[in-house]
Amino acid sequence: MSAAPQTHATAATLGGTDPAGGHEPLVLLELIQRLKVRDVMTTKLTTVSRAAPLRQVQELMRKKKISGVPVEESGRFFGLVSIDDIIRALGGGYIEDACSRHMTTKLVVLEDDMPLSFALRYFDRYHYGRFPVLNRDQRLVGIICQRDINRALLVELTRELHRLESSSAKNAEQDGTASIYVLREFPICKYDFENAGKAANQIKQLLQEKKFPPKIIRRIAVAAYELEINLCVHSDGGVLSWQISNGRAEIIARDAGPGIEDVEWACRDGTSTANEWIRSLGFGAGMGLVNVKRVSDEFEITSKKGSGTTVKSVIYTDVAEQG
Amino acid sequence: MTMIEVCEVVKADVLVKGEGCQKTVLHVMASDLMSDVLLVDEDDMLLLTSLASDQVLRTAQIVGAVGVIVVNGKPLPSSMVNVANDLRMTLATSKFSKYDACVAIHAALGPT
Repeated sequence: MSAAPQTHATAATLGGTDPAGGHEPLVLLELIQRLKVRDVMTTKLTTVSRAAPLRQVQELMRKKKISGVPVEESGRFFGLVSIDDIIRALGGGYIEDACSRHMTTKLVVLEDDMPLSFALRYFDRYHYGRFPVLNRDQRLVGIICQRDINRALLVELTRELHRLESSSAKNAEQDGTASIYVLREFPICKYDFENAGKAANQIKQLLQEKKFPPKIIRRIAVAAYELEINLCVHSDGGVLSWQISNGRAEIIARDAGPGIEDVEWACRDGTSTANEWIRSLGFGAGMGLVNVKRVSDEFEITSKKGSGTTVKSVIYTDVAEQG
Repeated sequence: MTMIEVCEVVKADVLVKGEGCQKTVLHVMASDLMSDVLLVDEDDMLLLTSLASDQVLRTAQIVGAVGVIVVNGKPLPSSMVNVANDLRMTLATSKFSKYDACVAIHAALGPT
């Protein structure tokens, strides 16, 4: 048979459903839309003419470690000999026959200017190992398999990552501390005075390394330290989390109990439920929450007796916002 | 007057020379209550205390103190030296009482 292969892939299907199912990261989605089949396909092709015997194709497959050989003459594509065709030829005793007699001609092919997303959908739909790629003039210009796609995506993702990293570094230089993003969580245990304060000390050291203004550093450090000591002294244990992004530092102390019966009372100067042992360690003067409130630009506390307490302190890190 | 010079005034043994040891002491706070120390917003402060615990150093680091002198000749837990080294905080111990230390430092610094 020498009929031209049927092409099932048409541009009309490009506007179909999202090939990625909407779950891939945006960068990946953008990549598979931006990249064309021609950017990914293999162009160094091993081809045979229609008159070539299947035995020759079998040898080519063995030597080149490939599983499909296009049949082509002067760029005109006639069909493909797959490993299945060879197995059948060996079983049927016609391995010396010409390719044109037994090649697969009912083929799905892709066009080189189609987006990669289209190719991905076709791999998913047809479960073929490869697709021949034709140009607008229906000339064979390449072949694409999933390995080509994986390799191209890895290369492009690495490029994208470098671009994002350099752009992020440039922004950090231009915007000073405004574009820095930090997120940390510290588990705090009840009465663990050996470690209490370590989280706040680390926070302060990091802020100094990032060269935040000293007054901002002091306020963030004081809020973090007071909240950390509170978790250690008053709660059954909890988590101190903090993050800095978009010109604000947010410190949150969250515990699972025992909760505060009267939040308003707890936030007054000098009110404390601390015992003598805690006082002997230099804390429990009832100034902790008051002090956190004092250094914060935004302050929130929610609590219920018998359940947990959450305290949130926000401090603006943009100097302009300090008034 | 630098932190190290203040230590000489109260005859303190300097156990750890931290980053602030050559800094000029601008303020002195004498307190055993760390909650109170955390309320102070002064820069380059020296903390005088008779409390010998790691939390003293952690608190001093948070408020940006130049150093800590533990008074009354209190024996220090060994962990304090380690914490002071970790935080690069100057740590000294003096046999002076808190009151006597305050008087001596005030006299040395002169009227402000």
